[in-house]
Amino acid sequence: MKNRVNKICRQALRFSSAGLVLLASSYSASSFAADYPEAGNFSDGSKVWAENCGRCHNIRGPKELRDDQWISTAYHMRIRAGLTGQETRDVITFLQASNTKTVAAGSTHVVAKLSKGVTGRETYEKTCIACHGAEGKGAFPGTPDFTDSGGALSKPDDVLINHITNGFQSPGSPMAMPPKGGNPNLTAKDITAVLKHIRKTFGK
Amino acid sequence: MSNSCHAFRRKSLVIALSLALPVVTSVSQAADADLQAQIDALQNQVTALSSEVQQAAEWKNPNTLMHMAGFADVKFIKPENGDGSFGIGSFSPIFHYQYRDIVMLESEIEFQVGEDGETKIEMGYMTIDWFVSDYVAIIAGKFLSPVGQFRQNIHPSWINKMVSAPPGFGHDGAAPISDMGVQLRGGFPVGGIRTNYSLYVSNGPELKSETEDEIDFEIDGVAADGFGADRDGDKTWGGRFGILPMSSLEIGVSFATGKAAVTVLEANDVSSPSSGLEPGTEFSGEALRSYDVTGADFVWFSGSMSLRGEYIKTEIGEASTGTTAGEGGVWEAVYTQLAYRLPDTKWEGVLRYGDFDAPGLNRDQTQTTVGINYLVTNNFIAKVTYEFNKGEVAGSMADNDRLLTQLAYGF
Repeated sequence: MKNRVNKICRQALRFSSAGLVLLASSYSASSFAADYPEAGNFSDGSKVWAENCGRCHNIRGPKELRDDQWISTAYHMRIRAGLTGQETRDVITFLQASNTKTVAAGSTHVVAKLSKGVTGRETYEKTCIACHGAEGKGAFPGTPDFTDSGGALSKPDDVLINHITNGFQSPGSPMAMPPKGGNPNLTAKDITAVLKHIRKTFGK
Repeated sequence: MSNSCHAFRRKSLVIALSLALPVVTSVSQAADADLQAQIDALQNQVTALSSEVQQAAEWKNPNTLMHMAGFADVKFIKPENGDGSFGIGSFSPIFHYQYRDIVMLESEIEFQVGEDGETKIEMGYMTIDWFVSDYVAIIAGKFLSPVGQFRQNIHPSWINKMVSAPPGFGHDGAAPISDMGVQLRGGFPVGGIRTNYSLYVSNGPELKSETEDEIDFEIDGVAADGFGADRDGDKTWGGRFGILPMSSLEIGVSFATGKAAVTVLEANDVSSPSSGLEPGTEFSGEALRSYDVTGADFVWFSGSMSLRGEYIKTEIGEASTGTTAGEGGVWEAVYTQLAYRLPDTKWEGVLRYGDFDAPGLNRDQTQTTVGINYLVTNNFIAKVTYEFNKGEVAGSMADNDRLLTQLAYGF
């Protein structure tokens, strides 16, 4: 009886497996990335990076690898972490745009849309939230807690603006914040606005 | 008088200009030549730079990429009832050879130094990953078992927050290590929820048997290490489904099912062979037994804290015919691990509890482990781990406490 049940279960499994393959293939037929390397979305990529990498291992900073190394690493992680193709392209875009002080000509279009008349809140949500978290407490170990009264926000504005503009590595953190949070198109006005938003939202 | 004076001045000026002109022309020509030389030099520099830029751009996004990652670790282990020893955990380079976003070859080679000083080389995995679509990749070759999380994603020394694997999640434990076959793998969103999956068919495991009297045989272990042939002739099916109801929480369930047969007599278990059965004797044609694995895992993290756990159960059925006929067995392991990184420091504390039950009491073990890690960088970690082991059999290896230290580097 037990063998018969096992046999039925295994047959069912095989049929369901075949069904899953067909479903997945048809679901994705129109979204196959025929172009390469197809640009992803910087903001979505920063979210993928912050939400997925730390699930298994310590976060690796964008500056640890070159652009081409990030491509292979991201595709390796697509397999390991079960990322979709779009998530893979997004995270590659984020990492490649964040690993240099100056932005390569070919990648400016990826981040340009972030700086068009955005408010401090919008800048935070598109550029800062991946690492600093929606609640300002840090999305993963090593990022400062903005809600800590004796923490990062106890520093004067000119110091914090300098940190945001030129990049900064918090004490104890193995990874540095890239200049302008990895978005080189942020203007001085954007940076002032985002700092004002951070103080207003998380400061005590 | 005045007119003659003006005429003299004009003549003098013309003469002076005539005399000065060759000198001025000569100086001007020298300046032009110098300027031309500078322009030529600049043009040469621009040409050279342009060539270098073209070459650099040429390699920025080539169709074919070659990349190496991996990990390595060195350690010192001191058992409660024994001498401490330095050792190499493993040097495990991972090679990636990728063509666009279509295919990637991945291979991890493990180099280890045994107690006898011999270097052991093993292929941890080697797969060809075909990215069929945004949601499906076909993985063919020898792959890390997708059953559970620890063996496929957490075991590398720079990722594992303890020096050792939880009881039952190492070799000859309850969790399968690797397999040889083909796998479908990917992720897809369901509404706003992320999910991931893997589904495979493989050669499956082989079984090891032991005997004390050559009459009664017991299953000693399930070897699930990616065999290059399906000697029992029955394929194994399995997979894992993971769901992330929120970005900080993943819950997964795993399974594997198939048949397996005894193929080898475990070494050193026949004390006085009298019927030709030597340790390591290989069998063929032994009766097929049922092989079923079920598992569940989770990970949750918030800021500086992470909590993960995993349960795995492997069941082997009985066999009523054949040389090694006998009862089956159940291998069961569970662990939970809490890690906390002290804010604004590189220090991390880890606490783990694990339990492993296997046929034969010698390996049954309950383990509480504490660890302190110093993250020199996020991928270079110094670890100190202490295992409090409680074995079912007092004085057995499973009952021996251990101090373990390790330097682990992921690259």
